[in-house]
Amino acid sequence: MEYFISLAVLVGIYITLSSSFNLIIGFGGLVSIAHPIFFALGAYTTGLLAIHFQTHPVLAVLAGGGVAFLSSMMLSLPSLRISGDYLLITSIGFQLGLLEVIKHLGVTGGASGLGNIPNVVEGSYRSAVFAVVSCSIAAVVVWMIRWLLTGPYGRVITAMRDDELAFSALGRNAMMIKLSLFAIGSGFAGIAGGIYAYYFQYISPDQFEILQSAMLLTMVVVGGMGSQWGPVVGAVLLLLLPQAISFLNLPPSVMAPLQGVIFTTLVLVFLFWRPQGLIAPDKRQSAKDA
Amino acid sequence: MIDISILLQIIWTGFAASTYAILFAVAFSLVVKVVKVWNFAQAGIMALSFYVMYAAHNKFGVPLLLSVGIGLVATIGANVFMDRYGLQTLRNRNSPDLTFFIFTLVVSEFLAYFLAMIFGTEPVALKSNIMSGVNIVNGIVISNWDIEAVCVTGVLLAALYFFMNKTHDGQFMAAVADNPELSRFYGINVTRAYVITFVITGLLITAGMYLFGTRASIIPNTPLQMMLFAVISTLLGGMGRIFGAAVAAIGLSLIQGLSIFIIPSQWQGLILYVFLFITILFFPQGVSLPKLKQLLSLSKKASPAQ
Amino acid sequence: MSVLISLRDVCKSFGGIVVADHISIDIQRGEILGLIGPNGAGKTSLFNLISGVYPADSGSIAVSGQSLDGLNLHQRARLGVARTWQHMRLFASMSVLENLLVAPRNYPGEKISNIIFKPKQTAAANHAVRERAMGILKRMHLESIAHSNVNDITFGQQKLVGLARALMNDGECLLLDEPMAGVEGNAYETMKSIVREEASSGRAVCVVEHNVSFIKDLCNSAVFMASGKILERGSVDSLLASKTLADLYFGA
Repeated sequence: MEYFISLAVLVGIYITLSSSFNLIIGFGGLVSIAHPIFFALGAYTTGLLAIHFQTHPVLAVLAGGGVAFLSSMMLSLPSLRISGDYLLITSIGFQLGLLEVIKHLGVTGGASGLGNIPNVVEGSYRSAVFAVVSCSIAAVVVWMIRWLLTGPYGRVITAMRDDELAFSALGRNAMMIKLSLFAIGSGFAGIAGGIYAYYFQYISPDQFEILQSAMLLTMVVVGGMGSQWGPVVGAVLLLLLPQAISFLNLPPSVMAPLQGVIFTTLVLVFLFWRPQGLIAPDKRQSAKDA
Repeated sequence: MIDISILLQIIWTGFAASTYAILFAVAFSLVVKVVKVWNFAQAGIMALSFYVMYAAHNKFGVPLLLSVGIGLVATIGANVFMDRYGLQTLRNRNSPDLTFFIFTLVVSEFLAYFLAMIFGTEPVALKSNIMSGVNIVNGIVISNWDIEAVCVTGVLLAALYFFMNKTHDGQFMAAVADNPELSRFYGINVTRAYVITFVITGLLITAGMYLFGTRASIIPNTPLQMMLFAVISTLLGGMGRIFGAAVAAIGLSLIQGLSIFIIPSQWQGLILYVFLFITILFFPQGVSLPKLKQLLSLSKKASPAQ
Repeated sequence: MSVLISLRDVCKSFGGIVVADHISIDIQRGEILGLIGPNGAGKTSLFNLISGVYPADSGSIAVSGQSLDGLNLHQRARLGVARTWQHMRLFASMSVLENLLVAPRNYPGEKISNIIFKPKQTAAANHAVRERAMGILKRMHLESIAHSNVNDITFGQQKLVGLARALMNDGECLLLDEPMAGVEGNAYETMKSIVREEASSGRAVCVVEHNVSFIKDLCNSAVFMASGKILERGSVDSLLASKTLADLYFGA
């Protein structure tokens, strides 16, 4: 039972991550895979605040989100200004570069990670409390993204994706919109990071490497980019999958890469066989998909 | 005071070590130039290349050169397969750039995990003894590996230059790089140009992985990390300038080696990332003399108080 | 009549190709100026320079006396430079009405701070935009397709929607790039009367067109361009009667 409850905590966190990633890459069309680094920044900010300043957990998590929100501009401002295509490479460099920094700073615990993050929920119902919090945040994030996208703003985003040049010629500052989407999505990732830090009480740089990027990409691609529920489905599916294969009783050295093989094969299969993902894009069907 | 012989040693070693980096950078740059794709799948192909050679030589006892041959066939095969059935399908569908990126990245990830499943994650090298004989020339250590690396790279680059400039296929590739639609119009077989690109790339990759694998040990993830170097070299060298990428690779390698004099070793890993940022910000089209002059004059204008 | 759009000595070249060669021209309020000339003369490039798709190499462009130099595409649109495109560039995922709803230069109904803190104002602003959009569609007799996806309507209707979208900008300049190409019948007549109405309400309209009868029908005056230069300006009839220009056009 305990096992499923901690799985629920992870599900909530990953729904938040995949939905916010979809906002950036699926709706904003911003090709960045650096989402895990904002997850990391949120986690580290929250962890450090908790350890050194005993900050109230709600404040610490919000601070994590805030740091992620602001630092996203360190990435988006320089690279969007140049040309959208460069965002991809810059995002990879940004993610790995910041991880390098984290690995070599003493205060973050370096490559061995940051441990001893204080426990903020005592008692035998700890996991359950975290599960409720994590899933509630996921629900709020999904709802907020939905609200953002179904209103007039959603129209604006769609127009920008359809034809950015014509869009700009209408007087719209496309860059501002992209920066905002990027910041909002990254902020949500930071909040997920805060929850992650408090639950596991230990975080390390290798939890935020390209494997994470691949996982999030898988969730979004398989679930359905450009649809609001797609990433939710993707997150749930991909978290349950390892559980499904765990009964195969393979040695761990094969297990970990096998998961990776399954993830990546799924993405490839979907890319070629069903590019729109499990959940097709919403009512505004893109004519290009036809 | 820096000992001159240490300086020369570092320069030589940096230069020799840049050889395989040059090959990977040129391979990556060539695909960007002709096929117009940021081929992150190269990392996976690099890993595949190495492990095929490794399996042939170290597991099945095939002599090293023959193993390289087998590796070459496998690499080129995989490369061309990926283009014919992967990239071409996406091209036919007019897929957006994002899809191409996801595809190439995931191919690399897939291969990395697949190889990890088969070979595990312990570092392995092509030769059980990666120390080669050394020669001391004027106080500088020059290993046999260094000599082999420089020769192999030099020959391959010269052959590539000759191919690109003197053969019909090479010129067709340049035309396709410039304007695929127009090339098709003039009867140039664009598909063939792509295939040849991937054959050449396969050759460069195999040679590079042979050199690297006889000098150091790798794990399936290593090529992914090496890709960053290739990407920055391509950017710095300029779009469409494969020999520019080669020069950039040498330059970066030397800077990395020489930086030991100014930067504490723990931050060495960060240099590449800093370079990436600087390149994207100031030289998105590659380093060129006019651009440098433009930047210098801009900074002069900015200095006097507004 | 006051000068609305003013270009002085504008030059632009790409590599070795000169698309604008010391172009100086004034376009007046209420004027409908036709731009004619052979392919490659630089007509669309001129539009691109005025609207800001790329900056001029030298020279200056001003609208209502305000310099546009250094401003980019979206900044100029906010100042009232509206345009249509040769290839229409409608937003393919959306309906006709939605294409118009994203087009005004001021959109208080979309600012997040307004949505949260001034919901009534926001609702009113959104309503006003919707009214205006439907108004334009009614003028064009297109109300019935307001909710159709732009890919499901006829070519002529698509061109009208492109014009409608530019009109939502309600700025003072209207640059129409081949609005009539491929359009005939009712759509043609509608477009003509709309453009006339806009000019007479005080806009400066500039039209690039190959359709000579449209130019004759509609434009007060015209300018003949070739190789990035303005060769002649005058009444449409005199330009079309000139033998040298005809040679350039048809001989090219």
